Amino acid sequence: MAAETGNRLVQAFRLVRALLRHQKRTFFIACGGAAVFAACTVGSAAVVKLIIDDVITPRFEDGEVAASTVAGVLGLLILLGFVRAAGVVVRRTWAGRTAWGVTERLSAEVVDRLAEQPVPWHRRQTTGDLITRAGVDAEAATAVLQPLPFASGVVVMVFLSTVWLLITDLPLGIAAVCVFPVLIALNIGYQRRVDRYYNTAQDELGRLSSAVHESFEGVAVVKSFGAEHRETERLALIAGRLREARLGAVRLRSIFESLLDGIPNVVNIGLLVGGAFRVRAGEMTVGELTSFIYLFTLLVFPLRLIGFTLSELPHSLAGWGRIRSLLDQPVDPDPVLTLHRGSDNSVHVRDVHYSHDGDREVLTGVTAEIDAGRTVAVVGATGAGKTTLLHLIAGLVPPERGTVTVPEAGAEMVFQEAFLLAGTVRDNITLGADVPNDAVELALQVAEADFVHSLPQGLDTEIGERGVGLSGGQRQRLALTRALVRRPAVLLLDDTTSALDPATEAKVIANLKAALTTTTVVAVASRPSTIALADDVLYLVDGEVVAHGLHDELMDTVPAYRQLIEAFEHDRAALDAELGGDGA
Amino acid sequence: MSEPISRWSAAETIGKGVRAAPALRIGFVTPLFLALMGAAGRVVTPILVQQAIDRGLSPKGVSVDTVVRLGLVAFGVICVATWAQRTAVYRLGRRSEEALYGLRVRLFEHIHRLSIADHSEERKGALVARVTSDVETLAQFFQWGGLAWLLDGTLMLLVAGVMLAYDWVLAIVAFVVAAPLALVLQRVQRHLVKAYDSAREKNANVMTQISEVVAGAETLRAYRSGPRYARRVKDASHERSKSFIRAGTIGAFLFPSGEVFGVFTVSAVVVTGLLRGPDSGLTAGAMVGFVFLTYRFLEPIAEFTEVLDQTQTAVAGMRRVLGVLEIPIGPPEPTVPMRLPEGGLAVTVDRVDFSYRSRGDIDEPPVLIDVNVHIPAGQQVAVVGETGSGKTTLGRLVARLADPVAGAVLVGGVPLTRVSNADLRRRLTVVPQEPFLFEGTIAANLLFARPNLGRADLEAAVAALDLGDWLDTLPDGLDTEVGERGAQMSAGERQLVALIRASLVDPDVLVLDEATSSVDALTEVRLARALEKLASGRTTIAIAHRLSTAARADRVLVLDHGRLVEDGTHLDLVQRGGTYARMYDAWVAATSAG
Repeated sequence: MAAETGNRLVQAFRLVRALLRHQKRTFFIACGGAAVFAACTVGSAAVVKLIIDDVITPRFEDGEVAASTVAGVLGLLILLGFVRAAGVVVRRTWAGRTAWGVTERLSAEVVDRLAEQPVPWHRRQTTGDLITRAGVDAEAATAVLQPLPFASGVVVMVFLSTVWLLITDLPLGIAAVCVFPVLIALNIGYQRRVDRYYNTAQDELGRLSSAVHESFEGVAVVKSFGAEHRETERLALIAGRLREARLGAVRLRSIFESLLDGIPNVVNIGLLVGGAFRVRAGEMTVGELTSFIYLFTLLVFPLRLIGFTLSELPHSLAGWGRIRSLLDQPVDPDPVLTLHRGSDNSVHVRDVHYSHDGDREVLTGVTAEIDAGRTVAVVGATGAGKTTLLHLIAGLVPPERGTVTVPEAGAEMVFQEAFLLAGTVRDNITLGADVPNDAVELALQVAEADFVHSLPQGLDTEIGERGVGLSGGQRQRLALTRALVRRPAVLLLDDTTSALDPATEAKVIANLKAALTTTTVVAVASRPSTIALADDVLYLVDGEVVAHGLHDELMDTVPAYRQLIEAFEHDRAALDAELGGDGA
Repeated sequence: MSEPISRWSAAETIGKGVRAAPALRIGFVTPLFLALMGAAGRVVTPILVQQAIDRGLSPKGVSVDTVVRLGLVAFGVICVATWAQRTAVYRLGRRSEEALYGLRVRLFEHIHRLSIADHSEERKGALVARVTSDVETLAQFFQWGGLAWLLDGTLMLLVAGVMLAYDWVLAIVAFVVAAPLALVLQRVQRHLVKAYDSAREKNANVMTQISEVVAGAETLRAYRSGPRYARRVKDASHERSKSFIRAGTIGAFLFPSGEVFGVFTVSAVVVTGLLRGPDSGLTAGAMVGFVFLTYRFLEPIAEFTEVLDQTQTAVAGMRRVLGVLEIPIGPPEPTVPMRLPEGGLAVTVDRVDFSYRSRGDIDEPPVLIDVNVHIPAGQQVAVVGETGSGKTTLGRLVARLADPVAGAVLVGGVPLTRVSNADLRRRLTVVPQEPFLFEGTIAANLLFARPNLGRADLEAAVAALDLGDWLDTLPDGLDTEVGERGAQMSAGERQLVALIRASLVDPDVLVLDEATSSVDALTEVRLARALEKLASGRTTIAIAHRLSTAARADRVLVLDHGRLVEDGTHLDLVQRGGTYARMYDAWVAATSAG
């Protein structure tokens, strides 16, 4: 137990030292404020002694007290009150500055690292986990800094009180001082035990939240199977566990809170009785005795803070640990650097192998020569490696073997799922780059994204999480605009017209062909109409290029390709048969 | 949520809240009494000091016996007070946890029974927040603020009473000097609440931006915008720090103002006491006791201001929670239900209008206008129309996930409003557009339809839809985990699971909302096959997005802006050259390679 506590203190010390590396000054100012507060607290006990012995007793026992004495003592009381108050203001203000300064720094380090790490690294992490580290963990790691100055002030207070008590009256002082460790131990023991309940309750609350989320999201299913009551019971079970965990905390807390009120009261009685003997022996004045009791009353709350600070420690250590483990990971090399640069707009993929996490190979020796200015459709079944091929050309992931050659200017990629960021339409198109207005307008026309102008504020309409909602097709067209404003040498389209209705899709593709005369386009395509608009077709099967040529050629010479295309057409073909073929 | 509720006053809200959670009312009086007893423990020390000084510690002679006797009495009082306080805190805590549990369960039940119209995408998050974060504000209140009202409130009353009993002049002086503190604290508090509101907003902003940098990592990388957006997060984070530091600085003045008022009040009490002197009946002990009491009296005031804020938050939370309970459940259960006839069921849509509930001051446009259709038992109908034509809503009304605003839907000749929910769900099943799967295995998701079925029943259902070959491709067959919201499965596979799930109910009417997402060719074939088997022999209403589905149906209904504009067979409608024919031409063009 002692070793464990010692170990925790060492960890705590290291944590605080690491956190404060750049924030020492504000922290020590806060500690200074706390020390002033501590000194004034003990000082106010001394003033209470003066009020009783030099002001109240003379007036009520002897009938007289000098006005100057009254003024002096009360002046001291008021002065101490102000200084004590100032100590609190300084401590709290600078403790906040310290904690938030460090939080900001930690968040910044994490976010910089997130921006620095390339795509393969991101794929190895889970989204929720990364968000937690940059946000919640950074706050948790610094949470201990908020109460720490006060806690260090409490240590000063306990020390000064001990000195004051022992100087004033040694025997009674010793008796009183012995109570400090008991109170501190009680606080720490309580915090440890109650935290266990609070942590459990927090976990249960998290579980309840996700269950409720799931249940409400699936409300249509719940309703269509008449399962409303069953779902309520399932959720009630989780809510019941939350209630149990909370009740455990309530039980413990009710005992602790009342003991914490009761024990100092009992100590006060003991002090008074013991003090009566000392006063009778003439060793102590009534004022001194009363100031003992007063001091004790003042100390109860600050002593709680030690327990509270220690209870923050595990959270802070855990948060810090998670942040460190992220920052300690080396930065993966940028896959863009593996790309070879050619002199024109052609793209050459030579014997490229790729696997996710060294698992099954997604691409097994892909070779493709794509001439400058061509439009190539990449066709294949789900899992054939189409998207991966595009990511390789974009330099988002590095090939394990083989080479990819792209133009000097690189390639622009349009993703299957158009990711929109919170901000205006314009922000989403430029993504922070400096793009002239007419370039944006032109790109919008090509991408058939004129709907932008009918939005409430046109290009300045807020979209994303808190803005106007866009349909899947609108999102895809914006994502396409995003690539087009960059005047790409190579444009990579990952099934980016799937949410458009056929007529709009045809227009977009025609526009692209007309506008991008020198751009090489590599497009993953599944609709026959899209495939037909390409110059030639790259047919992938299980991570290999099976054929590369004109669509008609492939239809004639590659039976598997023909079957795939026919499967796309299956619906209509079957229908034609059923209805006597008048639909085509 | 809706307007009138937000106008409820705090008192009204609390009254309604107590009615919604009756556990609160029953167990309140005893803890209140116990708390009063507990507070007695806190005035023991001042009274003891006074008594000891006046009766045992006078400079003219110290009587240790008297002090010991006083001490024993005080000890007894403290023991009882400590017990009383413990019991008060525990009872109140238990009551409130039980009340919150009851409230949560009521909310679950109520929200699940709300019309699907109240479960729109925009509201989903709000509904989740009602049962989690809003009830949590109440929980926090009961754990801290409510307890403080109870303990500190009784303490202040008791202390004030004791002060008045000792010397009403001194007491009045103390109250008058301390009174402005309440005003100062209230002012500080108001600024503090605003500052924290703004800080919380900035915090939410930081969180949103962090999640974008993470979730959009590929996009930002592809467009080399990572550093720019990281900069944006750092700016937001700096703003957040500034905001929190500002709020913290305001908060830093709360406690010290109590301190400053404290020393002035004590000084005023001392000066008044000295001026009045022993002739007024005051004693040295009473003076000392009074100084102690003054501190005790001021102690809880600073805490009260924080409690006040928490109370406001809790009342606001309660108001929102009650707002949800005020939304009428829909569709309501019939008081005298009629049983659906045995055998096949026809579906009749009779002059139906529908619009979604308006949000705030935005009036939602009508979704369906005067729709009339009769679908004989066993007929396979496809409903087509552009996005927003109202076809999905029509399916929902037939499934009674919502009731029409005007007109009626009849199944088997019985108006849906007269059919009990249990009866309807046994006879009619919906397969939604984006089928929702719960986290867990495929088997668990299938059993959701009918929890009492055995393994063999599930396997039989899979076989009946000809999906055995698909199941064999999965790593653990029926025990394959589908992941959160079914994310481990492809969109097509989720639809397959939903079809099997629907088949387990063996319904007479099937409402099928076809998915829009593209599905790979093999799954497409499986889906079509399973669907055909599932639909055969049942009255089927397919909300069709693929015109191939429409073309295979017995009859096609075409909706346009909420109106039924065409009704006939596929061939009829193609030849008629109207809306449907135009849709069909576009679809043919898209699926042709040449």
